[in-house]
Amino acid sequence: MSDGKGRVTLRGIRKDYGSFQALKGIDLDIEAQEFFALLGPSGSGKSTTLRVIAGLETPDAGTMTVDGQDVTHAEPGERNVAMVFQNYALYPHMTVEQNIGFPLRMDGVPRSQIPPLVLEAARRVRIDHLLHRRPGQLSGGQQQRCALARAIVRRPRLFLLDEPLSNLDAQLRLETRVELKRLHRSLDVTTVYVTHDQEEAMTIADRMAVFLDGEIVQVGTPDDVFNRPDNLAVAAFIGSPPMNLLPGRFEDGAVILAGERIALTHRSERAAGDVVAGIRPSHIRVAETGVPARVVLSENLGETMLVNAEIEGRPVKVRLPEVRRIGDGETVRLVFEPNHIHLFDPQSKRRID
Amino acid sequence: MAAANRHKAARLRRNIVLYAAAGLLFFVWAFPVFWAVVVSLKSETEVLAYPPRLFFEPTLLNYRDALVGGFSILPSFTTSFIVSGLTTVLTVVLAVPCAYAFARLRLRGKKWLGFYTLVTQMVPPVGLVIPYFLILNRVGWLDTYQGMVIVYLTFSLPFAIWLMVSYMEDIPREMEEAAFLDKASRFQALWHVILPQVRGGIAVTVIFVFLNAWNEFLFAVQLGGNTVRPVTVAMYNFVSVEQTLWAKLSAAALIAMLPMIIIGFAAQRQIVKGLTVGAVKGGGRR
Repeated sequence: MSDGKGRVTLRGIRKDYGSFQALKGIDLDIEAQEFFALLGPSGSGKSTTLRVIAGLETPDAGTMTVDGQDVTHAEPGERNVAMVFQNYALYPHMTVEQNIGFPLRMDGVPRSQIPPLVLEAARRVRIDHLLHRRPGQLSGGQQQRCALARAIVRRPRLFLLDEPLSNLDAQLRLETRVELKRLHRSLDVTTVYVTHDQEEAMTIADRMAVFLDGEIVQVGTPDDVFNRPDNLAVAAFIGSPPMNLLPGRFEDGAVILAGERIALTHRSERAAGDVVAGIRPSHIRVAETGVPARVVLSENLGETMLVNAEIEGRPVKVRLPEVRRIGDGETVRLVFEPNHIHLFDPQSKRRID
Repeated sequence: MAAANRHKAARLRRNIVLYAAAGLLFFVWAFPVFWAVVVSLKSETEVLAYPPRLFFEPTLLNYRDALVGGFSILPSFTTSFIVSGLTTVLTVVLAVPCAYAFARLRLRGKKWLGFYTLVTQMVPPVGLVIPYFLILNRVGWLDTYQGMVIVYLTFSLPFAIWLMVSYMEDIPREMEEAAFLDKASRFQALWHVILPQVRGGIAVTVIFVFLNAWNEFLFAVQLGGNTVRPVTVAMYNFVSVEQTLWAKLSAAALIAMLPMIIIGFAAQRQIVKGLTVGAVKGGGRR
């Protein structure tokens, strides 16, 4: 299907809107045929980065290449990229068939060759029975498929998706997520996917870049980002709820938290000093012994339970694998699983290994 | 049961009030037209009878005189069509790209340029008659088609541009960006994506501009003359120092209204749609 290309390189991309620095020097390498997610909260620069890749924004500094060719200042139409917008941007006055066929028409494909290509693209996303409807007569999910079909019909070198699932209801979002992944496998086109939903990024992407305040704070596989956050910013962002970050002290292969000494199984060569210890809510247990914590509120999530507690006035979240009765204001003892404790340097905010 | 009846009665009362209000408004607006119809069917002497008589012998002679009599308004119909038509076509052709630029392009000085576009709308028209007269006189365009059309354009363009800007701003930017990514040029995006979506706006523009040009009197009477004499001016032949031929004037006015009424009915749906543009969010996916 594809010619096996679509390697994107961004170097030092900056973009300012007045005094607001949307992108503060982005460096990024996206491999050919990769499913790559740009993850971050709103205003973090992920969508701007996607628009720079699309050519809809011109960066103030930096270069972008695709397969080694400099396209920093190329027009959107010259880049052979296709994009699915958050609001789909379907042409309301055209039928589904005309919408999907539009890029082919603009590309100068002979009129007789368009219908079979349109039909094939529509079949791939299963809307071939809706070709004569207009976008206004489609459901949200069907509109989204139509936008997908319009994007894939031209067999672009790059496939850009800007929060494509955010306008769908929860159930449909889960289904479409799977389908997008399948579509990517069958097309083998480099796909860049913008989302603020980390679960979406974790489940769908081969690799991802985490954006915060116009900068990339980590690039890696979902596994890397989740299990080995590079710095405090990523640690505080990834996970739902994200990991607990507590001030502590490192000494002789152990970390001291709230007066409790926890021997670490996996780190030893380091001088004594202050650290920030990170631990996910699911890696804390309630036990007979351990660090005392006062329960503020316990939330029953159905299958699990989320306990909001305080250790020496600092909030700590604990996810228990089973629902049990814990009264608010009660004091419990918490045990941190030593092999799941992450350490960060409080000055440089970087991970300590 | 009793509650249902009370409901019914309340709804009936409300309907009576609404219909009464609508009837009153209709009366206020339609009365002059109705009066013109009545007058146009009377003889000139009957018109002057006082008090006006409710029952009289209706006649169509006035219409015959207005159409084919000595002061026939038919030749001026052609003039009106030429002037109004040219004004309308030129307005749309110029206003659409102009509105697109205002709505979409990042232009230096766009804000004040947009503001001063409206400058002719800020002065009472009568204040512009003399300057226009002097200008047209200087270039030798008094009593010419091009002179009248240019003068009308100075009024219709600002209006049309701002109307079209509001229509175009209603179209989500992504729609156009999608077209650019689909390899459309700016012109192709305008032609294939934007224009079909502002059809309603164009229809409204056409109607208002044509209507204004058709009904214009002040400039036509001052800057036109013998060559360019639209219906509004030609009708005045029935008014002279010695007498006013009210019945023939009414007949002529009603004939002149006819094209407007036809266009109005034909475009009613577009106008109503046009006036509510932007009323609903997500207009892009209408």
